[in-house]
Amino acid sequence: MENLKTGLKSFDELSGGLDYRKTYALFGNKESGKEQFIYKLVQSALSNRNAVVYVLTSKSYSELINEFNARTIPINQYLGQDFKILDDFSRTNSPSMTDNSYAKILNGPVDLTGLSVALSNTNSDFLKDAKTVINIFDNLSNLLIYNNPLTVYRFLQFICGKSKLAGVTTVFSVDTAMHSPDVIETIKNLSDAIISLKLENGKRYFTLSGTSREVLDFKEID
Amino acid sequence: MVEYKGLDGLPEEIDPYFGIAKLDEQLKGIPSKKIVLISASPSVGNEVFGYQIISKNVNSNVKTVVFLNRTSPQSYLTEMKEYDLPSNNNLVIIDAYSGITGIKSDETDHVRVIDNPYDKEEVKSKIVSELKKGYGLLVIDSLSLLIDFFDFDYVNSLVAAIKKSIEENDSAAVFLFTDWGYEKESLQKLSSNSNSTIEIKGIEKRVIFGQYFAVLNCDWLESKQGFSAVLFKAMKPGGIKVYFPKILVTGPTDAGKSSFIHSASKNAVSVDKLGGTIALDHGNVDFEGYRADLFGTPGQERFDPLLKMLGGEAIGVFLVVDSTKPEQFPRAIEMLRKTETYGLPVVVVANKSDLEGALGKEEIREKLHLDSNITLIQTFAQDLSKVDPNEPTKLKEAGIHEALSALFKQLT
Repeated sequence: MENLKTGLKSFDELSGGLDYRKTYALFGNKESGKEQFIYKLVQSALSNRNAVVYVLTSKSYSELINEFNARTIPINQYLGQDFKILDDFSRTNSPSMTDNSYAKILNGPVDLTGLSVALSNTNSDFLKDAKTVINIFDNLSNLLIYNNPLTVYRFLQFICGKSKLAGVTTVFSVDTAMHSPDVIETIKNLSDAIISLKLENGKRYFTLSGTSREVLDFKEID
Repeated sequence: MVEYKGLDGLPEEIDPYFGIAKLDEQLKGIPSKKIVLISASPSVGNEVFGYQIISKNVNSNVKTVVFLNRTSPQSYLTEMKEYDLPSNNNLVIIDAYSGITGIKSDETDHVRVIDNPYDKEEVKSKIVSELKKGYGLLVIDSLSLLIDFFDFDYVNSLVAAIKKSIEENDSAAVFLFTDWGYEKESLQKLSSNSNSTIEIKGIEKRVIFGQYFAVLNCDWLESKQGFSAVLFKAMKPGGIKVYFPKILVTGPTDAGKSSFIHSASKNAVSVDKLGGTIALDHGNVDFEGYRADLFGTPGQERFDPLLKMLGGEAIGVFLVVDSTKPEQFPRAIEMLRKTETYGLPVVVVANKSDLEGALGKEEIREKLHLDSNITLIQTFAQDLSKVDPNEPTKLKEAGIHEALSALFKQLT
């Protein structure tokens, strides 16, 4: 199987894209381009007939769709088809919000069991349709704020193990500045590969380690 | 007292109860002073068990208190509603969640707020003092989150305090717990502090293709025999339904197999031509907390090569016969053999019992050479004047329910 292209030219050229079935941690400070990276990846994955499960912890599903539209990324055609959203944010402000055909509304950041069950079920539905599945966590930082880090590590270990067994690729983004070095180190240890992003002098750069074609020095993202 | 009705339709007074088919039959509810631990795998979850237990009890006038640290009270009640498991004023929620998010909820007659959910003593004293107000049932949702917030030592001391309190106040307790892979020794201690442990797991490889619950132990029943794993589905709406994945409906041509499936199911489909089923019928049955998938076979002999395939993995059979056509009875027995379901639990449905020339129950039993332990149920058209030979006939509910009840009892 060819690698999963991110849709970012220099990244794909230098790294060959992401290996399927791996767990990626996407690190970066605010404005380092994590969201842009993820949105492009989602666009590329969907246009290559993959299925994407998008876990949201810091914005609502309608805000996410608006952000895709604002970047002229055509997402609406995939909603409820190959693109499903697990919204773990909206009920914090709107407790009465209910599911629709493309977004499942979860109970909030503390209910990791609810998230785990919803993720297992959504992945199972796609896998039964013989789809290649990409799980995106946007982002892990919010789960780490509300829960004991040990609880989140155990959750990560469980869902990453299950995803690998099922052949699912997982990417979770982490806001580096929000966590202590020991938390960042543990998350690195729980991942197969690490993508680091940074913003410097108005330009964005990346490194990639833990894959077949590593990029260990920061290179500019086109 | 709750009036629980099982498959027999006979009320039993058990209080409080699970409101979940099979669990109440096996455990006879949750006696007062007892603690039940419901331990789930993280990919299956147990929250719907909690919603159902709460909904069934508060709607049977059992005063219930839920300690909630998993989500907000409003969100919890929304979820219950989505599963069609409504709450009412008999429910009081101890809110240990809002303090985590910083969005404080207001204390009302039905919501008690824990100001600091990270304060071990406040958590313990709020639960214990609330129990003194006289509740039939306490639900903790979730115990594993308490372990994650604090530790096993604290949770064991909390369980001990709850045990003492429910003994003093004649309550019962249900703890919802997710097993994230904690140490075995700690889990054993937790389990030993409970009077019954129910395990919920998924049957999974790459995907989840089934889920089941099983009673691992229960100290208030004398007989320790008969606990077995039970497949279930969590239906939204509908809640927890004991699930039979494949029940075969077979019998000779035009006996009324499609009529039986369409009358028993909410959403049956047939692949047919001019009234005769030429491939198969399928329907989902939802009855008294049980859910079953019915698969009907075509009756014509030219489709016999299909029968073996359709019978594969069936766990029970309805054998439908036309009460007015005893000449087809040998064919009916032959079909049981061809579907390779001979020997499985079977209920014989004697259809068209309201037509002229229909044989009586005993005559049918004799001509089919039925053992005395095989149940035979008669079914009748709802309205004979509306029978259309090209469409499945709607059958009277009483016969359908009697047949479903008879087979489901044999399967559980």
